[in-house]
This record gives sequence, C-alpha cells and structure tokens, in this order.
Amino acid sequence: MKKYVPYITGFLLLFPLLILIYKSQVLKMSLVPQMVDDVWDFHLSIRPKGVVNSFSFPVPKSGQGVRVSDERFKKQNYTVFSDSNTADSIVMTWTSKTPIIRRVQYSARVDVKPIKYKVTKDTTDSYPKGLLQYLKIPKILPEDEEAVSLLENAILEKTESKTSAIRKIYYYIEEEVQRNTAIKTIHETLVTGKGSPLVKAKLFNLMARRQKVPARVVVMVRLPEVKDEAKAKIRFTFANEVFLNNRWIPIDTNRGHFAERPDSFLVLHHNYEEIEKMISRKNVTYKIIAERVRVNKFNRKEYRKEVAKSDSIFAKVSLYKLPLPLQAMFTTILLIPLGAIVLSLARNVIGIPTFGIFSPILLALFFKETSLGFGTIFFFIVVLIGIGQRYVLDKFYLLAVPRMSIILTLVIVFMIGYSFWSVDVSFISQKHLSFFPIVIVTTNIERLSIMIAEEGVFSTLKTLIGTLFISLLTYAMFFIHTLEMFMFTNPELLLTIIGILILLGKYKGYRLSEFIRFRDLVKQRQLKDEKRS
Amino acid sequence: MIFSQLKNLGVLGINNRVGRYILRHNARSSYPLVDNKVYTAQRAKAWGIAMPENYLIIENYGSLKHFETKIVNYDSFVIKPANGSQGNGIIVIKEVIREEKDGRIRLSFRRSNDKIMELDELKHHISGILSGLYSLAGQSDTAIIQQKIDKHPIFDKYSYGGIPDIRVIVFMGYPVMSMVRLPTKSSDGRANLHQGAIGAGLNLSNGHTNNAVIRNQVVDFHPDTNHTLSDLQMPFWREILELAARCYDMVGLGYLGADIVLTPDQGPILLELNARPGLGIQIANLAGLVPRLEKIRLEGESNLLARQRVEYSMKNF
Repeated sequence: MKKYVPYITGFLLLFPLLILIYKSQVLKMSLVPQMVDDVWDFHLSIRPKGVVNSFSFPVPKSGQGVRVSDERFKKQNYTVFSDSNTADSIVMTWTSKTPIIRRVQYSARVDVKPIKYKVTKDTTDSYPKGLLQYLKIPKILPEDEEAVSLLENAILEKTESKTSAIRKIYYYIEEEVQRNTAIKTIHETLVTGKGSPLVKAKLFNLMARRQKVPARVVVMVRLPEVKDEAKAKIRFTFANEVFLNNRWIPIDTNRGHFAERPDSFLVLHHNYEEIEKMISRKNVTYKIIAERVRVNKFNRKEYRKEVAKSDSIFAKVSLYKLPLPLQAMFTTILLIPLGAIVLSLARNVIGIPTFGIFSPILLALFFKETSLGFGTIFFFIVVLIGIGQRYVLDKFYLLAVPRMSIILTLVIVFMIGYSFWSVDVSFISQKHLSFFPIVIVTTNIERLSIMIAEEGVFSTLKTLIGTLFISLLTYAMFFIHTLEMFMFTNPELLLTIIGILILLGKYKGYRLSEFIRFRDLVKQRQLKDEKRS
Repeated sequence: MIFSQLKNLGVLGINNRVGRYILRHNARSSYPLVDNKVYTAQRAKAWGIAMPENYLIIENYGSLKHFETKIVNYDSFVIKPANGSQGNGIIVIKEVIREEKDGRIRLSFRRSNDKIMELDELKHHISGILSGLYSLAGQSDTAIIQQKIDKHPIFDKYSYGGIPDIRVIVFMGYPVMSMVRLPTKSSDGRANLHQGAIGAGLNLSNGHTNNAVIRNQVVDFHPDTNHTLSDLQMPFWREILELAARCYDMVGLGYLGADIVLTPDQGPILLELNARPGLGIQIANLAGLVPRLEKIRLEGESNLLARQRVEYSMKNF
C-alpha cells in the first residue's frame, strides 16, 4: 500500500488540473463565472425640436472598458438604424414617415470598468489616413494663434517627444485654466485664463493637434455615485483623447485624469465634432438617467447557461444545477476544506497551538456568517464568561455537564442582551446566527478555564491567540470571492485538496515552533561540546 | 540553518515522532492499556510488575455517596483520573485529618502543598474527573484512589515537594533515553516539566545525571535546595531499566514512555505508561533521539529478553 501513496497523491493532485484544462481549452468554458461589477441601467429619452422626420443621437457602444448589453428601443413607427462610421462610437438615427413629436426612448445596461494606460515616449511621424481628420487644426483668430504659440514657447521645448509635450499641455490646462462655465470660447479662455469644461477640452485638442498628435474631444456622462443622484438630470461633460503609443489615450483636464478614465464616466461619443449639432440644445431636448443595478457580483445565471451549453458531462453534474439555497450552502461548505489546509499548515508545519482541532475553522465560518466585529466580540465575551464562571461557579461545586450548560445559557443571555443593545444598528437581526459555532466555542471554554488553572495564563493565552490567528487567516481566505467561486465552479478541486492534505500528512520535518523549542538545546549542546574539547 | 543543526543532532520533532515511530509501532488497539491507568494496573498485576496499590476505583457518581466511609481508614492517598495526562487532575493527600464533633467524625484533607481540602471539595474534584474534565479526549472517566508513594531518601536534596519520577523512553523494548523529573517550588511540587520541574538527563550506562534543565535552560543547582544536580546517581539503575523494558512486553507498544518512581521500601515501581511521550527529554539530555531510535530499528533483535535488551542499551547509549 505504501508504495502506491505517491501515485495516488499524484493522481489526486493532477486529475482535477487535467479536468480544468479540458474545461477551459477543449470545452472553452470559463473557470469562474464572469464578474459583474458595477452595472448601470442607462436610459435616454430624446425629442427633436422643430418639425423633422428624422434625427440622430449618439448612444453608448461596447469597447475599451465599456460593455453594453440589453439595448432596448421602441421600433414602432420608426425606422431605427445605427451608424458606426467610426469604429468606437455609434450614432443612432430614428426615422419616421410623419414628423416626430413624441419622445423616443433608448435604454441599455452598461458595465463600465476603469481604464488606465502606461504611456511611453512617442515619436511617431506619420499616421494612417483614418487618423488625419484628428490632426486638422481648427480655425482660430490670428491673435489667438499668436497667444497659443507664445504659450507653447513658454511651456514646451522644441526637442521633446510627443508624450512629454502632451503631458505638459495637460498639466498646464488642468492646473492653470480655472473652471468657469460662463466662458465658452477659446479666445476668452486665452484672455482670462478660465474656461468651461468644453472649452478646456477644445483648447487641449487644439494644442495637441498643433503638436501633430491626433486628438479629439469626447462626449461623456458622469454616472451617479449614489442612488438619489440618478433622478437628477445627467448632463454631458467633455474630455479628450490623444493618439499615443498607437492607441487612444483618455485625458481629462477638468477632473485631472491623465491616461486613465475612472469607471464613473461613460463615453457616449468619441468625436465631439461629429455630433456637435446632434446634441445641441437647439436641435434636441434629451434626458439621461442612469441607475446602478448591481454591485460586484458573480454572474451565476450566465454561467449556468454556459455550462448547459457546453454539452458535456459537466452539463449534468455541475453544482449550478442545484436549487439556489443548496448552491448558497455549498458555496460556503466548499470553503471548509480550504480552511482545513490552512489549519493543517498552521498546526503541523508551523506548530501553532489551538483549542480543539476544527474550532478555528468553525470560528472562521462563524465570523463569515455574522461579521468579523460581532464574531470577535462574541468570542471574547464567551472567553470572559468562561473564565468568570470558574471563579463564581467553582464555589457551588456543580457537576461538569450542568456547569457547562450554564455557560451555554449565559452565552445565550449575552446574545439577547447584545441584540437589544444593537437594535438601532439592526446589526444582528438581518444575519442569521449559526448555532453550531456557539456550541463549539462554549464547549472549548471549560477546557480553557482548566488550562488557565493548570498550565497558567501565558500558555492559555498563547493557545487562545493561536486559535484566533488561524481563524482570522481562514476568514481572510474565505473572503476572496474568486476563490469561493472557483471552488464552487470546479468542485473537482476537492481531490487536489485531498492530495495536498496527504502531502501535509506525510510531512515529517520539524515544525517552525520547534525551532524555538529546541533552540537552546542546540546552543547549549555547542557550549558543552566546546567545554569538553 | 537551525533546522540542519537540529537534524545533525538527531533531534526528534513532533511530526517525525508521530509519523515514523508512533503510527508505525504503536497499534491503536493497545492505547487503552496505557491511557487508562486502571487497565494498566490490571495488566501489570498479571505480569508481576509492581505499581502503586489502587485503594478504590470510582466509576460513577453513586459511589461517591459513601465516599468518606471508604477512605476513612487511609492516612494518605492520591486521587487521579484513569485517563489523565501530564499529571492533570492529580491531587495528593498527605494527611487525612479526623475531627470529632458532636459524636460525628468530620474529615478534611491536607494536600501535599499543605492546603486543606474539605470533603465536599474533594468530592467535587472527583466528580469533575468522572465527567471527563481531565481525560485525554474529554469523555467521562474513572477516578482512582491510589496509595501515596513516599519519597526515596536519595531525592531529599534534589527535590521540593512531591515525588520525582524517572522517565524512560523504550523503543522496541530497548531503553533509548532517560531522565529524572525533579519537582520544584515553581512546579508546585509536581514532576511536570511544563510547570517548571527540573528535567535531568540520565546516562543509560550508569544512571548518573548528565545535564539538567528548567524550561529549556540549563541549570547546575536545584533552585530550592541549592544542591548541585550533577552528582545524582540513581540507585537500582539496572532494575529501573529492566522494569521499563518489560513494559514493552506487557503492552506491546513499540514506542512508549515508562514513568517509574523509586520507593523507600519496594525499590522502583511503575507509576504509569505513556503512548505519546514528550520530546522534552531530548532537551534534558542535550541529545537527539533519532540516532538511537534508528540504531535500534536497524540492529535491534526482537527475540531478546528484557534483561538482554537492557544490556545492549547500557552498552550502546
């Protein structure tokens, strides 16, 4: 039997990995359901002004950092077509046989991720044809041109790279041009040193193009942070993009973002020049509403479909086929073996003492079920009750089991007290307490108080801290959602865990704690040997 | 670096002890024989191995009812849990105090540390033992009322309070390492290394101390008696080792620790056996167990008598 151990262990370790490779490479399944982060429901309602049979308006498009899904718009009475003459923006056109007098609606679900680039030195000389329009320098007054070239002389050196020049222009406009929504032309801005967001973007655009860097003004909306904000009307705001390192780099001189765009901004169109007329208040009235619908969650539903589609054995045996409450339960339960690895490492390789064998894991689960704050308070209160009862109940000469039951009852009394105290924060009321850990923690208390009596406070404290440390470590691991989902999606990894545990069980080396324990042995043995020789 | 030093000294670590020696050489089915002191005593009687006399074995709360009538005739005794470990739950009564009041005898007990215990307190302690407070796995237990052993006069200068005991690690029936545990004031008169008793390594060849430690620190003198520890010579040395070696034949555990006490009149007697003896003995001897264990594993013959195995150990270690 002994000689099979390496083979069995090897199989246990490798087999699930092979399954993972099969799943991802052959079946093309993802190993973890897709992360759904902040997702907004985006609504647009537009009405053209005047008597027109047709009008256009920009709508969001999937691209770098943006995913648009579930687009919905009324098709009745209208011919709707989208025109994406530029690769990164869409303009939608509504056409009707009769003049459009009612609002048209557009809604979509958008998922915005922050984007960030590292921009390196750029000295490109020539650009492809498609980019030439972004190099055309807008017409400005001769005196403005003079002012701009003076400005350029002041802030730029002749020999620097395009990236460096762009950075300097960005710093200048971001810091020196004050925001003032009343100032709407480049001329005024150059005179007063103030400008509206749009004019700041335009100035940047102009200066970038003068440095022969393709640039454009982008039209964005700021997504609301809090729910109430969503009801307020959202306005367009403006920023820039420049073409460096062979890609469009976002720049925002109004809010101070260089080569990055936070996920609170959704770009509607990447070239203001093209849609300037469409979004002008002269031609159209519009209302934009965005509501946050989901916060950082894994999309289990999608994955369920993906599994079913894969048409493999996994379509039949996946945990995703279980009813939802069972799924939730297994998500948690599958963490226990991971906790067991941490525990085995801590006990057998490091040598951290704990109360009971599995109490740290149960404690960690308890922390996860309630909350870390409540969990630790609960733990310490129970410890205090346990120590305190030793002093009081010792005088009563009670038999051990009733005495332990008294502690258990006291713990429940404490819980009632706690819920009264915390009723305002409605802290505990929403979270169901798992009763299992209560009993486990309580039974350990009697041992704790005996340990204090027999081995002293110091060694008890060590064990107590050890227990808490491992449970916190396990707890921290339980909070890596990706890990949780990874285990749930690929439960075959349990075999790998068994393999790892076999390896740990076979470990016969020293524990780290023995390094401390036998440290003096080594030292004193050396001293003794020296004396002898 | 320190790990390689430990390895060079052949220090046995916990994982190695469990994985290579205890799991392979100690059959689980034999554990109750050593974990339960009642069973050990029964087996020892059959094998003619001397142990302290068990006056009374209390298995249930009912037997506590007339407890006082059962112990009134003993002058001293020890209470211990049958499944205890590390000396937990043991109370030594050195004097039973009888007071006559209104024609009734009232009992109280003087402990080895001179504290007085009332009958109720004593009963409470015993019921604690019965409910498993001190047992290895926490299950309900049996309490033993046992003969109190007196200290051998040779230890007068070397110990404070209780009785010193001699721990012998026996592997495959061969004694491999030994130490004597000497109680101190800080160990509350108990022969428990964790609580601060002295562990003094003994040469297997002659029973002479070779080194002494308190909690990992080398000491040359007993902290309470101030007597040098280096001149302690164990009497009955060969008998002590033979007694330990025979325990292997008795319980069949390949790796075990025998705790032996020296009585003034009976000589060495077995106090208890341990299926998972601690590793502190290596610190007391400033030597590692692994080279000795491996030597026995490779060279040890299984068909020798205890006497012959002791002969081998005394010559080789």
